[in-house]
Amino acid sequence: MDVLEGTAWVFGDHVTTDQIYPGRYLERPLEEAGRYALSGLDEDFAGRVRRGDFVVAGVNFGAGSSREAAVVALKQAGVAAVLARSFGRIFFRNAINNGLPAVIVPDTSGIRTGDRLRLDLGARQVTVLDTGAVLPVINLTGISMAILRAGGIVPFTEARLAERRRA
Amino acid sequence: MTLTERIIARAAGRSTVAPGDEVWATVDLAVMHDSSGPRRIAPILDRLGGRFWDPERVVLAIDHFTPPATLTHAEIVGFTRAWARERALRHFFDGEGVMHNLLLEEGLARPGMLIVGADSHTCTAGAVGAVAVGVGATELATILVTGEVWLRVPPTVLVRFDGAMPAYLTARDLAMAVLQSLGADFAIYRAVEYVGEAVEGLGVDERAVLTNQAVEMGAKNGIIAPRFEGEDRVVAVDAAIDLSPSVPEECEAVHVFQVADLSPLVAVPPAVDQVRPAAALEGITLDRAYIGSCAGGKAEDLRLAARVLRGRRVRIPLVVTPATQQVVRSCLADGTLQTLIDAGAVLQAPGCGACAGLHSGLLGPGERCVATVTRNTPGRMGHRTAEIYLASPLTVAASAVTGRLTDPREVL
Ligand code: SF4
Repeated sequence: MDVLEGTAWVFGDHVTTDQIYPGRYLERPLEEAGRYALSGLDEDFAGRVRRGDFVVAGVNFGAGSSREAAVVALKQAGVAAVLARSFGRIFFRNAINNGLPAVIVPDTSGIRTGDRLRLDLGARQVTVLDTGAVLPVINLTGISMAILRAGGIVPFTEARLAERRRA
Repeated sequence: MTLTERIIARAAGRSTVAPGDEVWATVDLAVMHDSSGPRRIAPILDRLGGRFWDPERVVLAIDHFTPPATLTHAEIVGFTRAWARERALRHFFDGEGVMHNLLLEEGLARPGMLIVGADSHTCTAGAVGAVAVGVGATELATILVTGEVWLRVPPTVLVRFDGAMPAYLTARDLAMAVLQSLGADFAIYRAVEYVGEAVEGLGVDERAVLTNQAVEMGAKNGIIAPRFEGEDRVVAVDAAIDLSPSVPEECEAVHVFQVADLSPLVAVPPAVDQVRPAAALEGITLDRAYIGSCAGGKAEDLRLAARVLRGRRVRIPLVVTPATQQVVRSCLADGTLQTLIDAGAVLQAPGCGACAGLHSGLLGPGERCVATVTRNTPGRMGHRTAEIYLASPLTVAASAVTGRLTDPREVL
């Protein structure tokens, strides 16, 4: 999972979890969440995004409600990583805890929808393949990276519990 | 260390922590409701062996889908109730009110605690000097088994309100003043701690508005150093922990507001930080008024509204959803409910009500509502073209009387 390549879908600042997964779908089963990904902003997004694509945004992506369906919807729709200048903190946790890289890139302004990107989590950088621009990733160290590498907080916790039983 | 750092250090079993440190901490309380709780966590819990680390520290409230408006709601409520019974959960509240408010009323949230909850407004419990943070449902399931949460220690931003509170202002106006000048993202990854003369004079109900709104500022938690005099339910979790307010030198930033300079405010759609003086919006006519939610349905909110409505009649429908059954009891006892009903308000069952746009008074296309709820995101209370104007209970009541956005000073 350390190196991922995908096409960028660019959104603006302050995208809320209400826009990523509108409240009216909350009573639906989570297995259907992918159909409604980002439908509060772009009704067609879920139909057009390809597996492995990246969502790129400005500040405070995933602000507002703690609904985990926002992360589940993006994953199910095929989104492989979200790059933003900053995240709503519960969205950030939910992303890491569900194994979706939520990557803080201090300046995403040079990225356009359709750009091919390479995310290297080991080297902690994003390369815009068309221009060769290299952008630093400033988060994902320590515990959050360990959870991400384990594939999320559930497999991570399973491993911790197993370790405790052995000890 | 700041107040938030001291509480996290205790929970992490360390003598000190500093902003940016990543720690594992033991939680004092883990809380969830019918939307984020059993229906989401049950399968994960089963996968992890299914045993709570400490059932006494688990709280569940049915507050979102109650009273059920559809069969789907009824199924969610039924599943939640059956799950709670099966596990013989002691701290289980079934349609008795909003979880965040129940934690404070019941004395479950205590000064010095580290509380995690599967809801973004979990930060409300910071009103009694706890560090209370929201997490997702999956993460909560893992915490229920291990009792541990990973945290990055946040830097603290101090927000100070100088001067005494005048009668026309409420904690909601203070919170909106902060959002107006600093925006909806100034506190991302940070703790917001409120201090100052105006805050010290507030009771827990009003303090809870400030800590509740911290999440709208992007914060990890909102906190106020506890006041113990006159609050018999406020008992520290650990007598050894220093719960005094943070000093400015330890904080990342200090923002000072002069209360005397503030006026009643309104957050206009589509964002919590689009804040204007109520007096500047008096041309905006309204279809509905709403008093409710974890931020705006507490006993103090109803009493503030009653102050405006005594001897007056509403001109547009005013719906009141008390946050909890205890709010109903205390406002029944002191005559507040009588005043509201005499003025023409309609009372609903306690709980989240229309705040999350699930039932109990959704807004139709283009409807304009002034409300004490937590957020005004398009679609939050119903149709995405409906307009939600957020305001204090005083401003909502005054606006219900005139049928347009109104500075309460005009009516009081
Ligand atoms: S009252 Fe509103 S903001 Fe508070 S917990 Fe319920 S739905 Fe959420």
